[in-house]
Amino acid sequence: MLKKLFILILLASTVGAFGQGKFISKNAFISFYSSTPMEDILGECNEAVTILDSENGEIVFQGIMTTFHFKRALMEEHFNENYMESSKFPKTKFKGKIEGFKKEMLTSPVANIKITGVLNVHGVDKTITVPGTLGLQDGKLVGTSKFKVAPEDFGIVIPSLVRDKIGKEMEITVKATYLPYGQ
Amino acid sequence: MKRIHYIFIALGLILLSGNVRGQDLDALLNAETKPTVDFASATFKSTRIINGHSIEQMKNKQLEFRISHRFGTLNNGAYGLWGLDQSVIHFSLEYGLKDWLMLGAGRGSLNKTYDSFAKFRLLRQSSGANWMPVSLSYFTSVELISLKFPERPAGTSNYFSSRLAYVNQLLIARKFNENLSVQITPTYIHRNLVKTELDQNDIFALGGGARYKLSKRLSVNAEYYYTYNPNSKFLEPRTYNALSVGVDIETGGHVFQIMLTNSQGMREGSFIPQTTGNWLDGDIHLGFNISRVFAFNK
Repeated sequence: MLKKLFILILLASTVGAFGQGKFISKNAFISFYSSTPMEDILGECNEAVTILDSENGEIVFQGIMTTFHFKRALMEEHFNENYMESSKFPKTKFKGKIEGFKKEMLTSPVANIKITGVLNVHGVDKTITVPGTLGLQDGKLVGTSKFKVAPEDFGIVIPSLVRDKIGKEMEITVKATYLPYGQ
Repeated sequence: MKRIHYIFIALGLILLSGNVRGQDLDALLNAETKPTVDFASATFKSTRIINGHSIEQMKNKQLEFRISHRFGTLNNGAYGLWGLDQSVIHFSLEYGLKDWLMLGAGRGSLNKTYDSFAKFRLLRQSSGANWMPVSLSYFTSVELISLKFPERPAGTSNYFSSRLAYVNQLLIARKFNENLSVQITPTYIHRNLVKTELDQNDIFALGGGARYKLSKRLSVNAEYYYTYNPNSKFLEPRTYNALSVGVDIETGGHVFQIMLTNSQGMREGSFIPQTTGNWLDGDIHLGFNISRVFAFNK
């Protein structure tokens, strides 16, 4: 009897270990865009990883700086070399929580949400609250967000020589299609 | 007694599984992020260290327009405004056909030379998921001297092939850290026709170059080409090994390179075998390279 119970508990614990109740996307989209009369800058990443915990509404994102790509190869080089210093700070990361999270949010149609958390870019942490959407779209759990950040807030120095070409604020767009973890 | 054992183990497992479930999302996130191959980028700021090619090349569908000048020698003195009264120019269009293949063509006023080249990237320095200590490229070019042929004695003739010279180089570079990059460049040059019997048709040389970044947008560069079999010392003008020092200044889509060099030629076929200036005599040319990059993708 006790042996059976033991095996049952063992099974339950292994399921738990496989991240039950978590949703993941390994090809989430992150872009940043700045527009000035001089120049438009658009960097896109399709390889960000994000995990959403359906138990408590916790959400994390991680992107490798060198997976951001640009139309102009020189922009990509300057992005990594001069601004993000990707060899020193190879990753960008966000860790936050969906405000007023309820489990039903994951099974209902797309609705507006708010997420508060810490965004780490260029080795600098900043607490942000951003708008977003979350819900089922064509039977899949999709999350999106669009918000603005200022490079200066993350200790990214833009020299006066190119100040006119780089926007004061970057528009960040995020889109992820989640699958249950382990599938 | 045995039962108590089981209960303890079961309790332990429950605690453990609780731990795993409440496991930091961060750890899970890191486990799911694919390890990347980190290629060394921007080993040099430009496709040239100073005169010679660097390991860098134009990426896919990026076109670079380059204009370079070398003025006269500083020892011209005030009368010749330290060389600024004279200048030779070289301009070229250089294009990344693939990320690993760059093609270019140009024209230099020194000896009215046309040139075309190809640069193939063979290895890329990387760390992370794949480790490679150096970057390696192969550079090859053909140069055509288009000066009018001199008058020939009756019964002899000039050949088109006499105008041609061929350059082959291996570019071996390593970016040691954010600031320091070093390149060595074994070189073989064949010239179909040389001036006298004492001149060498085949030239073997070894180039060395380095850059050190002073700030994100400013670096100092140095470059030296040692020729193993230079022209005879008895020929006039005598030739020397090419030595150049300069700075790179980067401003968005431009890189300015300003240098002091004892060569007036800007192509391998001229500055490696035919540098006639001697630093010790003040035969130093001020010069600059300017480039602008245009993107043609999407």
